[in-house]
Amino acid sequence: MGDDPVKINHRFREQMGLVLEGDGVNYCYQCGACVGDCPSARFSDEFNPRLIMLTVLYGMEEAVVGPESPVWQCSNCFTCFDRCPQDVKPIEVIIALKNLMGERGVVPKGVDRMVDGLLNTGRSAVVTTATHRRRQELGLPPLPELDASQLQRLLVDDVPGKED
Amino acid sequence: MEFAFFPGCMIQVRHPQMEAAVRKTVGTLGIELVDLDGLGCCPDPVFFKSLHKENWLTLAARNLAIAEQAGLDFVTICSGCTETLAEAAHLLNPGGELLERVNAQLAGIGLEYRGTVDARHLITVMRDEVGYDGVRASVTQPLDGVRIAVHYGCHLLKPRDIMRVDDPDHPTIFEDMLRAIGAEPVDHDERVICCGKSCRDCDLPETMTRTILESIHAADVDAMGVICPSCFDSFDTGQLLIARKYDLGFAVPPVYYFQLLALAQGLKPAEVGLDKHKLAPKVLLEKMTVT
Repeated sequence: MGDDPVKINHRFREQMGLVLEGDGVNYCYQCGACVGDCPSARFSDEFNPRLIMLTVLYGMEEAVVGPESPVWQCSNCFTCFDRCPQDVKPIEVIIALKNLMGERGVVPKGVDRMVDGLLNTGRSAVVTTATHRRRQELGLPPLPELDASQLQRLLVDDVPGKED
Repeated sequence: MEFAFFPGCMIQVRHPQMEAAVRKTVGTLGIELVDLDGLGCCPDPVFFKSLHKENWLTLAARNLAIAEQAGLDFVTICSGCTETLAEAAHLLNPGGELLERVNAQLAGIGLEYRGTVDARHLITVMRDEVGYDGVRASVTQPLDGVRIAVHYGCHLLKPRDIMRVDDPDHPTIFEDMLRAIGAEPVDHDERVICCGKSCRDCDLPETMTRTILESIHAADVDAMGVICPSCFDSFDTGQLLIARKYDLGFAVPPVYYFQLLALAQGLKPAEVGLDKHKLAPKVLLEKMTVT
């Protein structure tokens, strides 16, 4: 963070506040309860939920939603959600950061492809001829029909907090 | 007891053996699973939620609305679906502003969600509605002498107040369900850590999966018990990749709980796809002499 006086980027903080449950970070008092049992923090030097919360509090946008952001190392295990005495829900703050990255097109390879597949078919797994054969062998009913256009009609385009 | 059945895409498409195990075992427990038309992906609580949480919530609400119209609560068999549907049901409480926002979207396809549906994993429903003794009573071929180490996975148990299943740090439900079918649950050091499947752009998935595999191997068991299809992937195909890369020198076959229940109820391994696993639970099947 250098020797310069810290300037808080309030604009980014406000943007985070618009994403669903992205505002929990405002209650973070940096106790570190989220770190002790975090499996990603245990195995990676780059991932620390307390530091991610601090970085958001400073509004250091590039570090948390730029291409080098560590947030995709989160295991989504919800341990921090249960540990936090302030109800910050660090995992949900991290998901809010990912939502902003999604809006800016900065997501790991494969994630957007998986989401596109889901929206095109209604399912998050790819159906092949082997799928039907295996289901039949096991005596299962055929896969139900699914009208994915119903799902597509429900979507809103913008992530709240999007920059105009 | 009637429930709306939510098998989920991962299980329906990639692991139909899990769906078969459930459909073939619940009847004797007095649970009736009703198939509803039009259910979509829960949707996925990791990547879909990561790209657009409001859309994630709306698509979940669509599924909840379909169950609500049928007047039924959901029973799920995948931990990810359980997490999404239970969290969405928790966030969309009646009278809330979020429910109003989601309904404004649902109105576009002629649906409304009133906030009345509950979503629970089948193992929880079995404990609470059937009871361990009821499960025990369905067993004809107890898994005597079969040693199984449990991998809980995350989303069955956490977040604690939303999932309402067990103490996520000291859970017993899986071990208790194993005892009910005659198996011997074996403790190990890493039974509640994450398998790592959801981490991206790093080595964490293989590090976490390998840590758990080594912990289970040290416990000297016949198989590992899993309850989640994503964890199953980590310990099935994931284990094959890790074994090659790190020269593991051992194999721990993962088995879905309801496949074990099926064996205990006298079903043949092939009826629940156990003959198609990449890592066959040979010792387990030999002990049961059902090969």
